[in-house]
Parts: sequence; C-alpha cells; structure tokens
Amino acid sequence: MHQTLLTFAIIGYVAATGLALAYLVQREEVLHRLASLATLAAWVLHTIALLALAIDLGRPPLANLPDAVSVAVWVVVLLEMWLERRYGLSVLGAFVLPVALVFSLQSMPTRPLIGPALSGAWLWVHIGLALVGIAAFVLNFAGAVMYLLQEHQLKAKQRPGALYYTLPALATLDRLTYRTLALGFPFLTTGLILGVLWAGTAWGSVFTFDPLAFSSFVAWAVYAATLAGRAAGGWHGRRAAYFAIVGFAALVLTLGAGLFLPGKHGS
Amino acid sequence: MPLFVAGLSHRNAPVELREQLAVDEDKLRELLRDIAGMGILREALILSTCNRVEVYAVADVPGEARTATFRQLCRHRGVEPASVEAVLYTHAEGDAVRHAFRVASSLDSMMIGEPQILGQVKDAFALAQSCEAIGPALHSLFSQAFAVAKKVRTETEIARHAVSVSFAAVELAKKIFAGLDGKAVLLVGAGKMSELAARHLVEQGAFPLYVANRTWARAQELARALAGTPVPFEALPTALATVDIVIASTGAPEPVIRLGTVQRIVSARRGRPLFFIDIAVPRNVESAVGTLDGVYCYDIDDLKQVVDANIRERVREAHRAEALVEREVAKFLAKLGDVEVIPTIVSLRERLEAIRAGEVKRTLTRLPDVTPATREAIEALSTAIVNKILHAPITKLRESSRAGSPRSWLELVHELFGLGRNP
Repeated sequence: MHQTLLTFAIIGYVAATGLALAYLVQREEVLHRLASLATLAAWVLHTIALLALAIDLGRPPLANLPDAVSVAVWVVVLLEMWLERRYGLSVLGAFVLPVALVFSLQSMPTRPLIGPALSGAWLWVHIGLALVGIAAFVLNFAGAVMYLLQEHQLKAKQRPGALYYTLPALATLDRLTYRTLALGFPFLTTGLILGVLWAGTAWGSVFTFDPLAFSSFVAWAVYAATLAGRAAGGWHGRRAAYFAIVGFAALVLTLGAGLFLPGKHGS
Repeated sequence: MPLFVAGLSHRNAPVELREQLAVDEDKLRELLRDIAGMGILREALILSTCNRVEVYAVADVPGEARTATFRQLCRHRGVEPASVEAVLYTHAEGDAVRHAFRVASSLDSMMIGEPQILGQVKDAFALAQSCEAIGPALHSLFSQAFAVAKKVRTETEIARHAVSVSFAAVELAKKIFAGLDGKAVLLVGAGKMSELAARHLVEQGAFPLYVANRTWARAQELARALAGTPVPFEALPTALATVDIVIASTGAPEPVIRLGTVQRIVSARRGRPLFFIDIAVPRNVESAVGTLDGVYCYDIDDLKQVVDANIRERVREAHRAEALVEREVAKFLAKLGDVEVIPTIVSLRERLEAIRAGEVKRTLTRLPDVTPATREAIEALSTAIVNKILHAPITKLRESSRAGSPRSWLELVHELFGLGRNP
C-alpha cells in the first residue's frame, strides 16, 4: 500500500522537478504554478504513504535508513514550500527538488525493509533531530548553489542571462544559507550527541567505528567551521557558499555510507 | 458603434512631420471645438505626443469624418494635407479598441513599456472631457484602456527592468544588496549621469551619501544639492572602507581608484560587498578591482550590456502583454455591444416596474385582510409576469446591438412602450 503511494509521490516529484527546472529557464509563470501544484500533490501523497507505513509498522518509520531518508525528504519538501512562499523565492524548487528527488529514489522497493533492532525513545529523538538537520542542510545547499550562480552572473559581466533575472539578490541568498545553517546546526548537533550517548549504551562503546557516524562527524565539523567563520570571522558569500557545498557533500557521503556500506547503521 | 482611430506615429511618419503636426493644449481645445462645429463627429479625443498624433472618434460616416478631421488638423498646423494622407493609418471598431489598449499599455511606444504614455493618454482624455467631446462610447473605451494598461503593468514585467544606464546601475545594486536601505553611497567626481544614479539610489533608501571632488567647493556644492556630506578627495581610501556603493565619474585621464587601494580595505570590510559603478571614460576604477572577492565593478560598457539585455526582456514580456490585451479586447467588444442599448433597457425595466408596483398597490388596498403570504405571492406573480414580458425585447435589443444595428430597434422599443424621448 505505502509503496504504491510512495511510487506515485516520486512520480509527482519527478514532474515537479521537471516543471521547476523548465520554469528556471523559460520563466513562464504558469510553469511555476504547475510546479508548485505538482510539489504539493506529491507531498500530500508522500504524507499519506508515510502515515500508512507508520500504521503498518506500529511505530514511526525511522528505524531503517531508507525510511528515515524518506521522512527527511518529506521535511525538505515541506520546508521548500514554506520558504518559497515566505521569501517569494519562486526558483527555489528548481534547486531543492532535484536533491529531494535523488534522495527519495533510494527508498524505492529494492531492499528488504528490515532494520537493525533499534529501540528506545531517545533513539527516535536522535534520528528525528538528525533528519530535520539534514533537511535544513538540503536547503542550505540549494541556497549556496543559487548564490554561486548569481555571483557568477554578476561577476562575469557578460550579457545577463535567464539566471540573472530569476535568481534573487545575493544578499537574500546569503541570508538564506545563513538561516538554514543556523537552523540545521543545532538539530544536527543534538542528534549526534544523542547518537553518541546511545551508542555508548547500545554498542558498549562510544568509539566503535561506523562509517555513517564517522562521516556525519566530518559534515558536522564542516558546518561548525562555517558557522564559526560566519559568526566570528565575518565570512560572507562565496566562501560560506563553498563550505555549504562541502558540508553537504559530506552529508551525502554519510547517507551513502549508511545505505551501502556495512556498519552498525546498515540496513 | 462606428468607432475609429486615425493618425500617424513614430512607426510610419518621419519626425519632421510629427513635429509639424503636434498640437499643444490650447490649440487642442480650439481644434476640438472646430471639429465639433463640423457636426460630423459624435465624440472625439485627440492624442498628441512627440511620437504620435491620433484622433479617436465616433462618427456615423467614419471615412468622411476622418478626412474632414485631418483636413482641419492640417489647416490648423499649416501642413500640406497630401503629405499627411500618405502616412495616415486608420483602424475601425475592434481594431480601434485594440489600438487604444495597446497605446495606453505602452505596447506601441518607441521604447516598449515606457511609463509616460499612459499619463499622456489620460491628459488627452481629460482635455477632451473638459471640451465635452467625450460621450458614452469613448468614455467606456478609455476607462477600460486605463484599466488594461494597469493590468499589463502589474501582470507582466514589461516595465520592470531598467532601460537607462543610471537605472540599470540601481537594479544591479539591488541584485547585490537586495534592499538599498541604509547602504552608504560615495560619489566621486561630478557628472549628470552619476548625479542621476546617486539620486535614484537615495530614492531607493540608500543613506548616507558622501561626495568627493578634486575641487572642494564643487564637492560642497554637490553635497548640498544631494543632501550629502562632502569628503576631501585625499580621504578617498578611508571613505572606501565604509561605503557600500561607489559611483565614479571624474575626468581624470587615469584610474583614481587602484587595485592596491581596494585590496587593502577589503579585509577590513569583513566580507561586506562593495559595488563600483564607473561611469567615467576613461575609466576611473582599475578594472582588476572586480576580481576581488565580494567586489563588483561595472563600467559604462558593462552597464550598457545590462540595458541591452533588459530591452530584450521587455520585448519578451511584450508578447505576453499582447496576449493579455487581445483577451481584454474580446471582453470589451462583447460588453460594448450592450453599451448603446443599456439606457433603453434600464428605462424599459423602470417603466414596467412602475406599472407593476402601482397596480399591485392598488389591488392590495382593495383586498381586505391580506396575509403576508398572500402579499408575497402577489408580488412574486407580478414580478414574474413582467420579467417574462421583458425577456424577448431585451434579448432582441442586445442581439441587434451586437450585430451593429440597434438604431431602428431602439426607436421601435421607445415607441411601443412609450419611453418618451427617442434614444
């Protein structure tokens, strides 16, 4: 049941991604409206799919990584729709939806839905917090990419292209990356701390090597450095954007490690 | 409705001829009176700008009216009628409506999307109105034209992007800083274009404004004029460290702002962007400055390139605007069909309603013990009868009007129902 719904949701995300990218190039308002509609429809299907799954399992669908990532995508799309409306960033979808789509493809039914035996209330909190953090960083990444593209437009001084017109001002994009960083970081931090504590009790040691845990600490360190640079060093713009992209790469590796490498998070 | 527009514009008439024909306000009043005196035109509006001279009019015999009007115009301006006839265009009915909408929406302008034309059309309308040359047809046409123009402006981006160098600079500043509120501006040197750019920036909220000039007196003078603060020319490096936008336009033969100077201040700015607008030729700002992180440097050619791109944007948006205008024309024509017959329909309704109300009242006073239910039933019955009777004549009037020949039907209805003075 939930797999069928999820498949339809993914088809919806594919459509929304296509429309959002078409809007970026064509700048026809109707494309933007259709993209928003497709996004909303897919997200609603996604919501029902997740609810159905939760009822099936009798617990939140966070216990194995594919499901958890699916929840993260759900949060990403929610945030995307909200930010787009809140800041009038009609092009945001073109940068966020492709990432969301790639993430959601991994939850297609290719692997058995058997997770490691996980339990304990704070485990859910660990996963939930980390996922909200990851969702915020997807948007952080999108903001950074938009920043670099617009900066290139303004620096290159060639005849302005479509992106010059559709992308918002540099200051707006810089604020977006800063806000999403400031939002995601506390979630990621708390999620990681809880994970470490839980590891101490469940695996017997805090320092057991696990690829997912390791690479998520790398990501955390990159984000911590960016935040410190921003707050204390007055980092702005391009440098902050590069760091956002590096941090996100580490996060993607984290999820990749969790999905494909054997480890204690493995499925 | 025999509506037409005849005229000449930048599209087909040379500037010499447009100059000769352009009419100022007083002359326009005189001309409108003379035209009214001919008794050929029922309504008329004359639009005279430096890019077009056009007459919008309603006349029973449009061809004759057009010729007579332009002969009158040529007589007033002392122009040979034959030279005007050759370039005159005429649009009638739906085409005239479309033309009015396109002109008011600035789609027919030399610079598409320029904002002045709408004001000029409004002035022409007010003038014709004050000369009592506007009747119901032109009134509804131009009220709608103003509404369409507004819609085009808000629903398309036809006028959104700057097509002058100074506004393009402001637009770029907004692409960097988002809002300009509280952004400090430094004006180096003086010049008309740089002063204009500074004014635009200040209008958008930029503050404070500093003025540097090699001549201290000139700096003071300019600072006073722009409500800014004069700074000594030697203090330029210090000023650079604090401001966000620099407009340079000195007549210096070599750069006054060098890469080294900017390099030194960049770290002190802690990543705050710095935007150089270099309007001077030869350039005032060493172009390598633009390669520094967080520093943007546009010279006059770069700005012109932005303007070029913006013009292309306008043309692109114009296609969307044309589609919008087309829809509005269709809507207007459908409604227009009814305009001429509406007064008659209204008086017809009023007449029958008066009869109905009178008869109902008479009946009710004669009936003893009328319950509210009975009263309601009688009201409903009489209203239904009146509406059924009215249906056929009203439909017929609307149809005849849309077919373009309501005259005889209007007269007939007036006669039959005793509606008094003929329409």
